[in-house]
Amino acid sequence: MDTKADYYNRYFAAMYDTDRDAAMGIIQSALDDGSLTAEELLIDVISPSILKLEHDMVQEKKATLAQHYICSKISSEMTDWLLEQVDRKIMNKGVVILGTAFGDFHGLGKKIVGCVLNSNLYRVIDIGVNVSPETFVDTAVKNNARIIGVSSMMIHTAIGEEGARGVCSELERRGLRDKIKVIVGGAPFRFDDQLYKQTGADGWSPDAIEAVKVVDRLMKEKANV
Amino acid sequence: MSSARQRFGDLMSGQLPDRVPVVCNLLEQGAKEMGMSIKDYYSKGENVAYGQIRLIEKYGHDVAWAFHYTASDAEMLGSKKSIFPDDGPPNVGHLIIKSIEDIHKLKIDSRIFNTKSHQELLKTIDILKTELGKEYPILSAVVGSYSMPAILMGIEKWMELLFTPQAGEAVNLLYEKCSQFVNLRCQALLEAGVDMIIYNNPLASAAFITADEFKKKALPWIHKDVQTTGTAGMVYFNGGGEINPMLPALVEHSGFGAFYINPMDDIREAKQIVNGKGLVAAPINDIKLLRFNEEEVKNEVERIISEGKEGGGFIFGTLVMPYGIPEHTIRSMINVAKQAGQY
Ligand code: B12
Repeated sequence: MDTKADYYNRYFAAMYDTDRDAAMGIIQSALDDGSLTAEELLIDVISPSILKLEHDMVQEKKATLAQHYICSKISSEMTDWLLEQVDRKIMNKGVVILGTAFGDFHGLGKKIVGCVLNSNLYRVIDIGVNVSPETFVDTAVKNNARIIGVSSMMIHTAIGEEGARGVCSELERRGLRDKIKVIVGGAPFRFDDQLYKQTGADGWSPDAIEAVKVVDRLMKEKANV
Repeated sequence: MSSARQRFGDLMSGQLPDRVPVVCNLLEQGAKEMGMSIKDYYSKGENVAYGQIRLIEKYGHDVAWAFHYTASDAEMLGSKKSIFPDDGPPNVGHLIIKSIEDIHKLKIDSRIFNTKSHQELLKTIDILKTELGKEYPILSAVVGSYSMPAILMGIEKWMELLFTPQAGEAVNLLYEKCSQFVNLRCQALLEAGVDMIIYNNPLASAAFITADEFKKKALPWIHKDVQTTGTAGMVYFNGGGEINPMLPALVEHSGFGAFYINPMDDIREAKQIVNGKGLVAAPINDIKLLRFNEEEVKNEVERIISEGKEGGGFIFGTLVMPYGIPEHTIRSMINVAKQAGQY
């Protein structure tokens, strides 16, 4: 078996068992014996592993959500650690501001999405729960972010004035609406794939794998502006 | 025409009722009826009772809710703050468990019944029993012990604890204490006179676990939760996640006699699995009701009823109706359901 595939399989197994220390040991040994570079580990081991785990969970109903959450945390931690060893400029696909809408204190979905985006080389700034539209926009401007992600678990925070809709109006008010894209997600959106339209957002996603695809797409659209 | 109570009675004794019963989970909407903020509404049990009475008079559905909100379970265990929005359900604002030590310290005893949350709920139950009890079944709800830690320590901390080596004992202890709470609470609700308890177990749904894991880890706690009361009057509720994958184990081993599935669960499949060994309640996807026009409402309600009605044992329902659904939409949903549900 080739080295990459071997490390991928071993790392995936360790992560799947939520064994952080074993996962870290495998990455360390790949670096130590020089078989893979940090870049290769990021792109060919860490990122595909977490995407496969989520695929197993969503499509094949093999993994549980708690496991998914822990794995996404392991994955994000490994990414941060490897990123210390590479040229961040090359390995950074862009900055994403992520938070939970004002009046909403649920952070699990957002955290998973954040960890998975991070493991896919976006620099994620998680600004927590109960975030006002102004804070979303201030943080995006300060960090030169091109994407704002707003999570909500309840319908009134998902489509209310102080949620993503408020973020979109605040961007508009500051003349930034075409520069910064807004993406939404969370339980209510999963019940109605049209719901995101009521918020004025540019996209939505039902899970973290899709979130990576949507953010990739919006970044491309952005690049063409 | 039967009363709502007879309708459910028929269903439970295996007979065909005059029509499919309609459960409509209107909660905060009662505050609107009473002309109050959601916070004021929930501050007194009588507000909720009269809110429910007005809702039934207005819309004509078949059950009255003697239930306030999920966060009140946490209040009964010492949570000092719930957050009341203007246009949605209250939320837990103070998590009472911050460490493993707090799990050890948590005491479950009859003091939970001295709390304002419980006392106000008793008032709601009492008024509803007196005013509507002859005609309507009175419903309440509990969160199953398998899901309860989420409102005591926050779901992220809970998931982390589940995967902390050496925390197994604390995890079991918290389940155990939650289950003691559920036993006490169900018993008190039934003694106070509620007819049915909606047993809400979202962390045991397919949104979180596999069917295998359900059998191994969730089912034993479901058994423990109903040790005191038994399962008469208990309805197993999906809590927002899909439960068809769990139904075979639930039907076979839980002793529950009614299963309230998710809008994403296939109704025909659920009826096939339950196979007459209990009732199936199937809800409309009520988040879509925020935007559906009359035609869309009609089609969706008729679809649900036509998939579930045959042979009886079927209830039409909703999940937790969002506050913003227009009144005319609620009306037409209920009217179409009554029409389409005739036997
Ligand atoms: C588990 C659960 C509970 C549990 C735990 C909740 C928690 N997280 O702390 C308990 C029992 C405590 C609970 C209680 C309540 N719940 Co609840 N609950 C659920 C359930 C089944 C799953 C939610 C969840 O945690 N999923 C796991 C996480 C990881 O998934 P997620 O948040 O969806 O995130 C994923 C995606 O959405 C996406 N994503 C998330 N955020 C973002 C952000 C971006 C930018 C992107 C791109 C993607 C993205 O990626 C994530 C990873 O895959 C949902 C229904 C459902 N099927 O989703 C209802 C649901 C959220 N609950 C609901 C309600 C109403 C409540 C209550 C308010 C009920 C009440 N009246 O008291 C209470 C509030 C409790 C409180 N906080 O005080 C409603 C909300 C809709 C509405 N009507 O407003 C839902 C949708 C069920 C329903 N349809 O009625 N609940």
